[in-house]
Amino acid sequence: MNKQVNVYEPHEWKHSTIVAGVEWKNPVGTASGTFQYDACHWFYDVSQMGAVTTKGVSPVPWEGNPGPRTTESPSGTVNSVGLQNPGVDHYLVDELPKLKKEGATVITNVAGHCDDDYAEVVAKLADCPADMLEINVSCPNVTHGGMSVGTDPVALNRLITRLRHITSKPLIVKLTPNVTDIVSIAKAAVDGGADALSMINTLVGMRIDIRTGEPILANRTGGVSGPAVLPVGLSFVWRVRQALPDIPIIGIGGIDSGEKALEYLYAGANAVEVGAAALYEPTAPMRVARELDDLLDSRPQLAAKLAAGQTWR
Amino acid sequence: MANATFIPTFDVTAEASRAGRFPGRRTVPVVDNRRLSDGIYRLTFRDSYIAGHAKPAQFVDVYSADPTRLMPRPFGVSEVEGDDVSLIFAVVGKGTEEFSHLAAGDTVDVMGPLGKGFDMKAPANYVLVAGGLGVPPLLYAAQKLALRDDATATAAFGYRDERFADDLVAKYAERVESITNAQGNVVDLLNSIEDSLIHGDLPPVILSCGPMPMMRAVASWALARGIPCQLSLEARMGCGYGTCYVCVVDTAAGRQKVCVAGPVFTPEQLGWDK
Repeated sequence: MNKQVNVYEPHEWKHSTIVAGVEWKNPVGTASGTFQYDACHWFYDVSQMGAVTTKGVSPVPWEGNPGPRTTESPSGTVNSVGLQNPGVDHYLVDELPKLKKEGATVITNVAGHCDDDYAEVVAKLADCPADMLEINVSCPNVTHGGMSVGTDPVALNRLITRLRHITSKPLIVKLTPNVTDIVSIAKAAVDGGADALSMINTLVGMRIDIRTGEPILANRTGGVSGPAVLPVGLSFVWRVRQALPDIPIIGIGGIDSGEKALEYLYAGANAVEVGAAALYEPTAPMRVARELDDLLDSRPQLAAKLAAGQTWR
Repeated sequence: MANATFIPTFDVTAEASRAGRFPGRRTVPVVDNRRLSDGIYRLTFRDSYIAGHAKPAQFVDVYSADPTRLMPRPFGVSEVEGDDVSLIFAVVGKGTEEFSHLAAGDTVDVMGPLGKGFDMKAPANYVLVAGGLGVPPLLYAAQKLALRDDATATAAFGYRDERFADDLVAKYAERVESITNAQGNVVDLLNSIEDSLIHGDLPPVILSCGPMPMMRAVASWALARGIPCQLSLEARMGCGYGTCYVCVVDTAAGRQKVCVAGPVFTPEQLGWDK
């Protein structure tokens, strides 16, 4: 355990990064699905994150899956929210203005049931003040769109090519680990015009109630996240970095400390995001950012590469 | 024993307050933990922020010290004495089993108070209808009402078997009625005291907490008699502070988060009056 950081103290950031041309004041963001302005701004200054990634926004409001939507797994959590959200129009007049008023660097996560859905949302976001768009082709909890696009290189390439023509904003494609060959998927996204990749989304999983013999989640399966998935996320970042030396990568999965963030940076990520840890420690994203900022002091070569938009590998 | 991933060494509440933020997860001393009944415990810890701010029906997230069990368990505040906050919980799994072994001198990680409390501004005879582990918010409501000149408390508690909270609530409530599963349910209890509620000096207002089927029954009993009613819902929660969207309930205004839109809802807000 490194020295305890006081997450409530103002801090001058020492080590920045660049992701697809967008400067982050530090290499730590929040992961989609675990951050919402109205819930999180009470705990820390959202403008002090490297970036904040909002929940998936769809063309119209989605009510998500029935409950129970969550259960625990060892060092992890299994969730099946199903991308409940009030829709892109609401996002543009409510959450995004609040985030920009505070000065946050914003990544807007885009969800859809089909290519037309994604295109509609991206078109509506084309002139908004969000800094980057993240295309969610990896949610395991919706029956159409989501992971079904992100597991098929041809479908993914077609979708990203189409979106590329609609927006000039930096496009991040968020990848699912529920595939046999992540490299072919990553290449399909980059060939379609993705400016960056983020990985990993959650792993498909389930728990069963032994009193009833039935799955605990109403949706039967959900997405596993938390410290348990750390080694999985690292191996995906490593493999994609080996195959694609130049594409910016945001590493996600099981990060709850500066040390774990550092592992992702050494695997070849340009930046990282904190997800599940925020669910059991609301200030975790800020703590990880502060811890990493101190850890990079003694790693000047890595820090210099990140600040120049390069990576360790 | 704090979770291995998170061991704050600074005063979270003082530092957060200085920064104008809501204090996040923090480690607090356990003052007492006692068994109230078979598998039911009352845990008391010291936290001046929760003690100073908690309203009846607000809850506290309690975290396991085992780093393989990450998600918080939400429990309603049951009583506050000075800086000491009590919660009542049942052992239903490994997390609550762990909490049952906490003792004075230990520490535990908590966050709160969370959610919205009951609206208890109106002068009234508050009828506190609890079922099972719905007791804590109503016990705390009784404690708050005992300080008022313009309101009274009538406890109507339904138990599975042992009447583990009758003596606790008797310290505060003007009247305590209870019933066990073998005798009937809380609606039977309400029927038995209906006349005295309706003809009492103060108009009745029902505050209730318990399992969902009981919430429905209490709501329809109240609606049929035109008695205002507030329900504190139990839900399987994730984060407890509104960011994860897992604890939703269908309301007249769409699917809402129990942790921040509630846990208190009126039958009208839930669309149960239709």
